Amino acid sequence: MDYSNPELPEGINTSKEHPLKEFFILTAGILALVFIVISTLILLVDNFADKIPFELENELPVTSIIKYEQAEKLPPYLEKVTHKVLKSFELPEEIKITFHYVNDDTVNAFATLGGHIVLYRGLIEKLKHEEELAMVIAHEIAHIKYRHPIMSASHGIVVGIVLTALNSTSGNSIVSDLMGTTGTATLMKFSRDFEYQADKDAINSLIKLYGHAEGALGLFKVFEEEQGNQLNFEFLATHPLTDNRISQTTRMINANPNKQSHTMRAYPDSFKEWLKIQKEKTDESK
Amino acid sequence: MYDLIIFIVLLALGYGFGRYAESKHYKSIIKREKELNKIPAVATRIPPIRRQDLNSQLVAGNVVISIDYFKRFIAGLRNIFGGRVTSYETLLDRARREAILRMKEEAEKLNAELVFNIKLETSSIHKGRGNSIGSVEVLAYGTALYPS
Repeated sequence: MDYSNPELPEGINTSKEHPLKEFFILTAGILALVFIVISTLILLVDNFADKIPFELENELPVTSIIKYEQAEKLPPYLEKVTHKVLKSFELPEEIKITFHYVNDDTVNAFATLGGHIVLYRGLIEKLKHEEELAMVIAHEIAHIKYRHPIMSASHGIVVGIVLTALNSTSGNSIVSDLMGTTGTATLMKFSRDFEYQADKDAINSLIKLYGHAEGALGLFKVFEEEQGNQLNFEFLATHPLTDNRISQTTRMINANPNKQSHTMRAYPDSFKEWLKIQKEKTDESK
Repeated sequence: MYDLIIFIVLLALGYGFGRYAESKHYKSIIKREKELNKIPAVATRIPPIRRQDLNSQLVAGNVVISIDYFKRFIAGLRNIFGGRVTSYETLLDRARREAILRMKEEAEKLNAELVFNIKLETSSIHKGRGNSIGSVEVLAYGTALYPS
């Protein structure tokens, strides 16, 4: 008997399909899958998250974790402006808002569960005018008005559950990471929608109070200076890019026919002085 | 954001280098297979030729091939959607053929006429995070018959 090995044709054990084709189909599939599942669940959750009674927010275990120890009493000027802005909102009775002032360099302000709004000295001193400060306050009040903190918390829980479930089935770290990023991007889309909504309400409140929305533009200019020329992808950010927020504001200003004087009220000297003392205090303690 | 950039760069590197290495490897495999076709490798357990002047000896060829980032990613997606894991098919095809070639090269050194009772063993080594396979090992071995 004669033995020989035949020459086998190529490609019988492998696929002739281009790997990139498979790559694009599968990647698009997984991105769409995660996006659709999370978006659907978030939209479902949105239907009942804002039905949670407002008082309950303060009883959530998360709320009690946030301690306002560092927070100090508001100075009279801040008290005055916050009160003025709050009044312009005419919030329903059950929504109670508490303002906190923190003497810290952080350039930020945020609204959280239980109607707490925290203002940092860092942001307040970057602004120069009452209208800009009012924009910050109005933006945070709008978040609470629309129950954004409780909705964001619900979104976070949904995304967490979905991603944990998906990751435990995928068993591949690269795919898990990609799904995590897609989940975050989906979540951020909703977060940015909240920001636009809050901006819109805040601008309306500014127009109601001062007759113009220059304060919003002034605030965004400060943001632009703060961010500099950082490279940012909007789809992964909690907030819309400042440029896009400015264009929404400009659109709203153009739609508003009321063209009064656009001069802004500078901070009173006593408040500027107070801010200076506050800053010295933190610098000393460092 | 930087994670995403790193991910895309790794995918591109994995794809580029992986494709290059694969096509180079296939060219070499096809060329050497033609050269070594003179030594048939058969799976029969009983020596096919019985001659007094033939000696027998164990010959083996071993190969370890790592998968690239791109292949691992595609395979991970296949874990979810199902279907042929084509990115691993070429990998194993290359590894098996290479192992047989190395075994035959051993046989050629002995001036062998034939290798019989060949067997292949495959194992995955380096199980990484999430039990993902990092590289495969293929061992081919058989008994070479060579003139004494």
